[in-house]
Amino acid sequence: MSAVRVVDVHKHFGGIVVAENINLELHAGEILGLIGPNGAGKTTLFNLISGIHAPDHGEIWLGDQALSKLPVYRRARLGVARTWQHIRLFPTLSVIDNLLMGPRDYPGEALFSGIFRLGARRAAAAAARERAMAILARIGLPDSADKLPGELPFGQQKLIGLARTLMNDGNVLLLDEPMAGVEGQAYETMQQVVRDEAAAGRAVCVVEHNVSFIRDLCTRAVFMFNGCVEQSGTVEELLASDKLAELYFGGKK
Amino acid sequence: MFDLPILLQIGWTAVATSAYYVLFAIAFALTLKVAQVWNFVQAGVMGLAFYAMWLAMIRWQWPHAAGFALGLAVAVVVSAAVEAWGFRVLRQRNSSSLMLFIFAIVLAEFISYLLTLAFGTEPETLTKSIVSEVHLVGGVAITNWDLRALAITIAMSLALFAYLRFTRNGQFLYAVADNGPLAELYGISANRAYLLAMVISAVFVAAGVYLYGTRASMIPTQPLELMLFAVIATILGGIGSIHGAALAAVFLSLLQSASILVIPSAWQGSLTYFVLFIVILFFPTGFRFPAWLRRVTRGR
Amino acid sequence: MEYILSVLILIGIYTILASSFNLIIGFGGLISVAHPIFFALGAYASGLANLHFGVPIPAAIMLGSLFAALMSVALSLPSLRVSGDYLLIASIGFQLGFLEVIKNIEFAGGAGGLSNIASMYAGPYRSLAFAITILVIAALVVALVHWLTHGDYGRAIQAMRDDEECFTSLGRNPMAIKITIFAFGSGLAGLAGALYAHYFQYLTPEQFGIVQSSLILTMVVVGGMGTTIGPVVGALLLTALPQAITFLNLPSSVMAPLQGMLYTSLVLVFLFTRPAGLFGKPVRQ
Repeated sequence: MSAVRVVDVHKHFGGIVVAENINLELHAGEILGLIGPNGAGKTTLFNLISGIHAPDHGEIWLGDQALSKLPVYRRARLGVARTWQHIRLFPTLSVIDNLLMGPRDYPGEALFSGIFRLGARRAAAAAARERAMAILARIGLPDSADKLPGELPFGQQKLIGLARTLMNDGNVLLLDEPMAGVEGQAYETMQQVVRDEAAAGRAVCVVEHNVSFIRDLCTRAVFMFNGCVEQSGTVEELLASDKLAELYFGGKK
Repeated sequence: MFDLPILLQIGWTAVATSAYYVLFAIAFALTLKVAQVWNFVQAGVMGLAFYAMWLAMIRWQWPHAAGFALGLAVAVVVSAAVEAWGFRVLRQRNSSSLMLFIFAIVLAEFISYLLTLAFGTEPETLTKSIVSEVHLVGGVAITNWDLRALAITIAMSLALFAYLRFTRNGQFLYAVADNGPLAELYGISANRAYLLAMVISAVFVAAGVYLYGTRASMIPTQPLELMLFAVIATILGGIGSIHGAALAAVFLSLLQSASILVIPSAWQGSLTYFVLFIVILFFPTGFRFPAWLRRVTRGR
Repeated sequence: MEYILSVLILIGIYTILASSFNLIIGFGGLISVAHPIFFALGAYASGLANLHFGVPIPAAIMLGSLFAALMSVALSLPSLRVSGDYLLIASIGFQLGFLEVIKNIEFAGGAGGLSNIASMYAGPYRSLAFAITILVIAALVVALVHWLTHGDYGRAIQAMRDDEECFTSLGRNPMAIKITIFAFGSGLAGLAGALYAHYFQYLTPEQFGIVQSSLILTMVVVGGMGTTIGPVVGALLLTALPQAITFLNLPSSVMAPLQGMLYTSLVLVFLFTRPAGLFGKPVRQ
């Protein structure tokens, strides 16, 4: 069974169709590349899967659970985690606090559970903190825990954003242009992390313009244009396709 | 209780008195649409305009036209000042909407207290006698006030719609209402649009206050309650729709008048608030007309 | 002495009111002008429970607080489902409208007011006992609000204020938090109301009007929104200030609007010169 299935999804805003007849599958352990020019509907698709928009027609399945009636926070608790095109770390929270907001079940969320189950809550909070520190170590930023996101360079902020989604420990990772503007060590680290997560059995979908990233990491890719899925297949197939070249670049390269 | 002449009379009077509600609603809906601000200061402007007119007409015995002009001037100047030195400053500081709200509400309250201090809590009207000449048409009493009120309201509403539709400045208001930053890219000054919207609202407020003052009596805390009416009408008519707000105001006025027939008078005062809750619960995005009626009334 | 004690009692009550309102508006970012109504609901509920149903006073106070909290959900749930802006509007309606309702309910004494409410303490040291009780409770409330807003829950509130959409995408439910904060704050206001009722023993709708709303808002804005100490200092300053004006011996028709003008102009001044209040950090952009 696939991790995520998008079935006949259609979405429009006013007169503009942003997603038309989308059919897509995400499998555990694979890294799916989502490519296409700006405005093709890639981020919209992420918004539909994570629940920010509800489709007008069609359904989205997470395993055997239908998602369309579920609000955003429910889907996240079922294991759908995403990053954003623009880094959206909480600016007034430290790095570690940002990460601590990430787990599916946040220990401090219910007001009164703190009063009635203090022991269990404290244990959960400690465990979350340990995990957060471990993830920070894994991405090579163990000392950034108490810094504010604004104090870190761009690439590191993106890594922290990725790290926060890892705190969700879910089966689905939707990464919206994770490599954009990232280079050097941060780039290497990010690549490695994404690879490791897929290897651990998660379903990863990546929106990227960076062709070498797609080539290195993705096994399958889907090309979107004007809200439609134009082509899907292996990365090599897509990159060799004339149709794609025409749509993407306006003519054979 | 339900015989026709009474119903017609109630209906007519409701429509006639809806005149000032319509004007207040249009004023509020306009600033909300263009500047995206819930302009509760309008209550303060209403109060100031009224008491200015009252001072002129009653205390200083000026002719009505002059008194109205004074009230109009006060409304326009205060509204412009609130926009230029209040909202604009807060906006430029990137203040949160929380701050803008607090400012608007608190300023309205401040003005209300000021007016209470200055004029006391005795109800005041703008004319010595609010009775005007009555004509009987088919058993329904129609007063000159009714006719004037309707004429003024309809004329001003049409003028506004024409202005918004056909003049350059009017279309700028729409552009800024739609997408402020984008309009700026096209050389339209959002600040000027906000100012213009506030000034136009002030004109409607002045007219509304004049009509209200020549028919009913005012106390300093009244504007806040009248405002609530305008707010409900704006929500019910759909935020962003000025003609929706106007129609909703008429509807609410009819509802208020008709309610006399069914609920005890003690609860009449609570009716407006009750309606507010119904609207928020069931019609927060406005009342949706059935599709065929919408096609007929289409066009902003 | 009696006079000083009653001022202290008022300071205690307003500290609870300001602190709980700060929780709602300063931390939660929810704007409402209906805080006095929950103050009123707690007062009336407690007074009536004791008066007409013989509920012992401590239990009545708890009941009053709970009642206020539950009623707040009736306000916050439908409004917040739409947006935060609607909460403000609905709260204006709630504040103005509920007073109308109270005036019409004979059971609650109507416009004339509810009198002969039982006093919590009796005897010559009544006021002293009250003052101590209220100040202790006020301190506990401030501590409770502080604990709530720092630590796990406080972190969640802050994240929610920073970026609500991102917050939900991590699996957090902002509605639940907002409604909870609103209920908690309103319940505390109800607690203050119940205590007020059992000391002053007389309630009229006028005591809970829009001037109260301005006063509480002023305390929070002047003290500093989103701080723990701010509302306490605000309550202290603004309870003492009106007392100073009382000495001018002005007629009440002048007093009320004058006080109103004072509170609102303070808010306006601070809003434009020092929005963070006396103790707040510079306002987050």
